[in-house]
Amino acid sequence: MFEWLIQPPFSTWIIEGLSLTVEITLFGVFLGLLLGTLLAIGDIYGRKPLRGALAVYVEFFRGSPLFIQLFIAVYTVPAILNLQIDHYLLAFLVFGLNSAAYQKGYIKGAMQTILDDQMAAGLSVGMSKAQTLRHVILPQAYRIVIPSWTNEFCSLTKSTATLAFVGLFDLVSAGISIKMWTFQILPVWISIGAIYLVWITGFSKIMDIIYEKKKIPGVELLMQ
Amino acid sequence: MTNYVMEAKNVYKTYCIKGDKKADIKEVEAVKDVSLQIRKGDIKLIFGPSGSGKSTFLRCMAMLEFPDKGDIYLGDECLTKPGVDLNKARARIGFVFQHIYLFRHLTALGNVELALRQVLKLPKEEARKRALDALTEVKVTDCVNKFPSQMSGGQAQRVGIARALARNPDIILLDEPTSALDPELTGEVIDSLRDLAKEGTTMLIVSHEMPFAQEVAEEMIFYDEGRIIETGPPSLFFNAPNTDRAKQFMTRIINRTTR
Repeated sequence: MFEWLIQPPFSTWIIEGLSLTVEITLFGVFLGLLLGTLLAIGDIYGRKPLRGALAVYVEFFRGSPLFIQLFIAVYTVPAILNLQIDHYLLAFLVFGLNSAAYQKGYIKGAMQTILDDQMAAGLSVGMSKAQTLRHVILPQAYRIVIPSWTNEFCSLTKSTATLAFVGLFDLVSAGISIKMWTFQILPVWISIGAIYLVWITGFSKIMDIIYEKKKIPGVELLMQ
Repeated sequence: MTNYVMEAKNVYKTYCIKGDKKADIKEVEAVKDVSLQIRKGDIKLIFGPSGSGKSTFLRCMAMLEFPDKGDIYLGDECLTKPGVDLNKARARIGFVFQHIYLFRHLTALGNVELALRQVLKLPKEEARKRALDALTEVKVTDCVNKFPSQMSGGQAQRVGIARALARNPDIILLDEPTSALDPELTGEVIDSLRDLAKEGTTMLIVSHEMPFAQEVAEEMIFYDEGRIIETGPPSLFFNAPNTDRAKQFMTRIINRTTR
């Protein structure tokens, strides 16, 4: 039933699919963290037109299905620009942009719980707003945001299943191919599901350990 | 050349309090035509009923709030003119907050060091040495590696004072430094302030610690409803203030402390 798991080419397909899933998720959450931070700062300090533009961005990426976003990026955008762009590159970008829309909210929320007093303290010692953001606000906000960030990672990992829709070879695409060759439908999907489960659980556990190590003594009390 | 360390000239500040409903906006005139001069080595103490705008005035002095009208001078430099580098100016002013506001992700040492490294751009070793000196001065050497949440209120506030002190600012502004502390912890903070006073540190303090005021303040300023009502040496207020309002307030405060 499961013997195909160690048989090439099926085992290679699984490894290939898993590595795309892992790579695109990690790239997505890190690009999302970076862009999400910029979006959060823009939303807090920007003028109205900028905040409006950010809101449109966030609503587009949160409000439409990921596979439609992928579809537009992979097929429509290159056609409009009349350019050949690597599909993998476009998919990586969509994952980052999509994740940024969610992470903006988490980061902004974390910043706002500490912004008033910590910004006043930073300015009072002669630091600029930018210095205070960098050395005081963000280091605290990132620590607070780790659990939400881990959730975002879990959800993004499972969203990689949509890559199959645009012909990219992720873990689900691997499953589809293997199923067609082996006809072991249930065992294939159980195995694919188990791989997701192990990877997500392992990574989340690591993030939990990092959270415990990095958390600021007493700050979680302040937040309750 | 003025010989004032800091000066406020006819400062006004109004802020809005938002109510439950959107239309429920209350305007509070916290500072109305307030002027004040501080010379080097002066210790002045502002006191008055809560909600009268003392803290807002102090935050205006530190340029943590921008006055609506009027000017703030730091030495010869007018801070309320457009184009002034306020970060540079704030680096020369120490500020101690009522609710302490330590950087929560940093230890006591980190709290004091941060501005020395980022603002004064001192090398690591020198910043550490100066931070330790400042922490020693307020006698919290046992907390050097503790985080704010691991300190008592009195220890945390003394770290706050060290943080304001470490840059050798021209003046230190203190906004009710003891009023958020348990009564038995105010003593240690007052002791630190007394030491600073002995060394000739220029200070403008909002406080209701009357025995302390009597001991160190050259001038007391009674502040109510956004204005300076009466100014004079502590002896004036403790014996016979000129205005009725100051008289009433002093009676109430003295009754409270002796009870």
